[in-house]
Amino acid sequence: MRKTSGKQTGLIFFPAFDWAISPTHPEREERLLYTRDQIFEEGIIDFPQIAEYTPSLATEHDISRTHFCVPGVREQTTEAHLIASGAAILLAEEVLSGKIKNAFALVRPPGHHSMRVVHGNRGFCNINNEAIMVDYLRRRGAKRVAIVDTDAHHGDGTQDIFWHDPDVLFISFHQDGRTLYPGTGFTYELGGPRAFARTINIPLPPGTTDDSLLYVVDNLILPVLGDFNPDFVVNSAGQDNHYTDPLGSLKISAQGYARLTEKIHPDIAVLEGGYAIETALPYVNMAIVMALAGLDYSGVQEPDYWPGRFKESSGKTKEIRRIVEELLKHWEKRDRVAPGSGNIVGKFYQREKRIYYDTDHIEENQLEKLKLCDHCPGYLTIDSAANRGYNHNKVLCISVPITACSKCCSEAAELYHKSKKTTSYNYVYLQDKAADIFYSFESGSKKERSLER
Amino acid sequence: MYVGVDVGGTYTDAALLDGGRVLATAKVPTRKEELIGSILEAMDNVLENVDKSKLKKIIFSTTMITNLIAERKFDDVDLLLIPGPGLSHAYYKLKPNIHILSGAIDFRGRETVRLNEQEILSTISEIAGKGIRNVGVIGKFSPRNTSHEKYVASIISGKYPEWQIEVGSRIASQLNFPRRVETTYLTCATRAPYRYFINSVRQALEYRKISAEVFILKADGGTLPLEGSEELPVETIFSGPAASTLGVLALAPPGETAVVVDIGGTTTDLALILSGEPLLSSKGAKVMEQFTQVRALAVKSIAVGGDSALKKVGSKISISPNRLGPAFCMGGPAPTPTDALRTLGLSTIGEREKAVEAMAILGESLGMSAVEAARIVTGQVVDMLTAEIDNMFLEWEQEPAYRVWEVLQKHKVRPDIIAGVGGGSEGFVEQIATKMGCAPFIPAHAAVANAIGAAVAMPTMQVSLRADTEQGYYIIKEEAYQEKIRGRSFNEQKALDLAKKSLIEWAARYGLEVKPEEIEVTHQEVFNMIRGWNTSGRLIDVTVQTPRGIAYKVGNGGY
Ligand SMILES: [Zn+2]
Ligand SMILES: [Zn+2]
Repeated sequence: MRKTSGKQTGLIFFPAFDWAISPTHPEREERLLYTRDQIFEEGIIDFPQIAEYTPSLATEHDISRTHFCVPGVREQTTEAHLIASGAAILLAEEVLSGKIKNAFALVRPPGHHSMRVVHGNRGFCNINNEAIMVDYLRRRGAKRVAIVDTDAHHGDGTQDIFWHDPDVLFISFHQDGRTLYPGTGFTYELGGPRAFARTINIPLPPGTTDDSLLYVVDNLILPVLGDFNPDFVVNSAGQDNHYTDPLGSLKISAQGYARLTEKIHPDIAVLEGGYAIETALPYVNMAIVMALAGLDYSGVQEPDYWPGRFKESSGKTKEIRRIVEELLKHWEKRDRVAPGSGNIVGKFYQREKRIYYDTDHIEENQLEKLKLCDHCPGYLTIDSAANRGYNHNKVLCISVPITACSKCCSEAAELYHKSKKTTSYNYVYLQDKAADIFYSFESGSKKERSLER
Repeated sequence: MYVGVDVGGTYTDAALLDGGRVLATAKVPTRKEELIGSILEAMDNVLENVDKSKLKKIIFSTTMITNLIAERKFDDVDLLLIPGPGLSHAYYKLKPNIHILSGAIDFRGRETVRLNEQEILSTISEIAGKGIRNVGVIGKFSPRNTSHEKYVASIISGKYPEWQIEVGSRIASQLNFPRRVETTYLTCATRAPYRYFINSVRQALEYRKISAEVFILKADGGTLPLEGSEELPVETIFSGPAASTLGVLALAPPGETAVVVDIGGTTTDLALILSGEPLLSSKGAKVMEQFTQVRALAVKSIAVGGDSALKKVGSKISISPNRLGPAFCMGGPAPTPTDALRTLGLSTIGEREKAVEAMAILGESLGMSAVEAARIVTGQVVDMLTAEIDNMFLEWEQEPAYRVWEVLQKHKVRPDIIAGVGGGSEGFVEQIATKMGCAPFIPAHAAVANAIGAAVAMPTMQVSLRADTEQGYYIIKEEAYQEKIRGRSFNEQKALDLAKKSLIEWAARYGLEVKPEEIEVTHQEVFNMIRGWNTSGRLIDVTVQTPRGIAYKVGNGGY
């Protein structure tokens, strides 16, 4: 643990007042307007406990370390995306280097529904701010990183990206996928064969209140974090658990959020969703900033809230406790579960995935293969085909983990060069995290690009 | 003809200008207990043989209020705060003069908690019991709805008509409750002593039968008519540094990016001019370690000056933030940076032998010669100031940006010139400029650049309007004026028209004529409020102001 006493909380407030998905979309200019009003009027930016930073832009290189953007980073991002992920990187760097004790990237657009391969916008997200930041942190020397996703929607993008990574623990609580987008995040989704229980999903029934949520934190999230002992804790801070959120049905208050933040004690929180722009965001954002900065947040309260306003049925309380029990059992078996033999083909573990991009109406089919290596987590290949109207894109993505062994590195490179010669793919990509170099090859023009530091 | 008078803590400077020519300058000691005398002496010096009927304007700048605040010589004030939910009230109760009232307004100006009349009454009696008659009423989000503040103020004035009452929304209409509290507090506290200053000025002018228009310089480099300034005394804090910055602006070549270095006895003020525009502080003036909502130039005060005492600490020379007296070469008790400059032949102030003696004493204990010691001292001062200048540019570059285009247009800026003003700058400015790779600039009349800056300053006024078409109201912030919006046709253009009209009327009340075509729009923000899939209203914020700048450039032509 880094020394934190006497240090400030870093804040980047980037409301992107000139950026929207579309004029009436929830992800529009107005989203953080009232949050600005509240934070400015409270004057907490003047407090010595808080240091406000200005964001910088993430580079194509930073984004290519995490994503396979099809055809390239420029086609899948706007400047606003680069600023949001750049803000997360900048603050993470400041925390890692010990200049500040923790940080909040209060930025939009959000990112946690963006998966490793990006054909378009899913769930308001194009690129995954936290994942890009985590890959950056690992490059900068952080060995083990934990991500706690507290958005009401399952962080399926982040889950996808770190599914096979034994050194990144992904914990997500969210409203039960049977009742909310994206319809995933069940307790049996536990990570790949070499990263079993490094993914933990906690589906909460609609109507879950502060008390039950904090029960989950105390009895599951904190013990798991304690065992995993990460170098860095990231909070994907969605604010749609709030009792007034128009999309979610959980019953969390600003006070609940403050206590949640205090308990998780993240090194950095990064804003995700939350669209109750007047009734929730100003209060929840204030509460989170204050909790991170160690300021007394007990006075933060929504105008229509009173303690004890929400009660959940005893059935729900029992259900939540049962889920906690079940997940603790999985966690105990974390290093002892072998992959089911049904998915093993030769030296590879493979799975098929269908991904739907709700915003851009794209259907994608993936065949994902993980090299089962005895010396490293193994390289990963994703054969992806996406349809958008009459547009069809077939790409091959090869990802080499940062801790890859030399054999995996050379095998992956060989596969990349071989695949460039076939005509089956529109694009072939090699993401070599070990060397921090990322290649893309367009078959039509036979042009290759490489991105390096 | 214009006269600029800068009433500083140590000296009162005056300059007489005519159409960009400096006709006369003066520098006399400031006698705080007898301000009228000092002002008269400085003015008499420059107005000798001048036909006073040809004087058009006299502009004063003063550090009076700054000094009063620094010395905490001001009136007792009690504050009634209406903070509502949010930051714990414990943070506000740090001072004994704070009273917390129930009630709350939210960010849209909606009442979320009602006032409690009984509580207001008992609080007022408590204050009356303490014998305090000077109060401020400040509510969180009062710029969005002034009714709570006004209601509390009306109860007080109903009960105690003789009390001085100020409401926060009129004094500080930007969003930032703690800064609004501080600004209102300072306004209440400095009103009476400021009146003393204004009356001194008035009397001095009467004695000399001068009937020119009289203005006072504000911290943002604009001026206010003296009469109107009484209501907003805090606007004059830090007008001293604003004066020297305007002076450089008037004396330097146009369009330059300049660092203004004003080296005084124990402090050095640094200010920035970016492509010919003085940089305003993004956070408002900081007074007693507290930010206020006073618009001010971005000035940084560094605790080092020509008279800072030097001493040996360990094997190093240390520059103390204190002044033990004048420089050794001027008959003072201890070696100072001024002695170092004199020793190296970089200045002509004081006796050279005494300066060398001071440096020799300092150097002896460190086993070095007087010249070596002097080099080290000047090097240290230059390093300190250069580092602070770099920081100021860095801070400017890193100012928060809330829009994509603002982030994208950020760029690195380096100064073209380092401009030295005030007495002791000359020797250092050359070295700072060399170190920063730009040109040194010592304007003609550098010693009275502040008085020249005051003389060329122009009146500035601004009006901000916020409209919430869904709630159906707009507020002219500077006047705490709130009005209903009737009909559905209210839009951005109407908001702008209203703001401009209000600016013209407001200026007219101060005897200033503003032409509609010269009004500048400095801030314009419109948000569509979407509820469901429909536009339910618009939030419009506009700020308009009279043009900023200086009346004219001043040539280097002499007397
Ligand atoms: Zn969400
Ligand atoms: Zn391997």
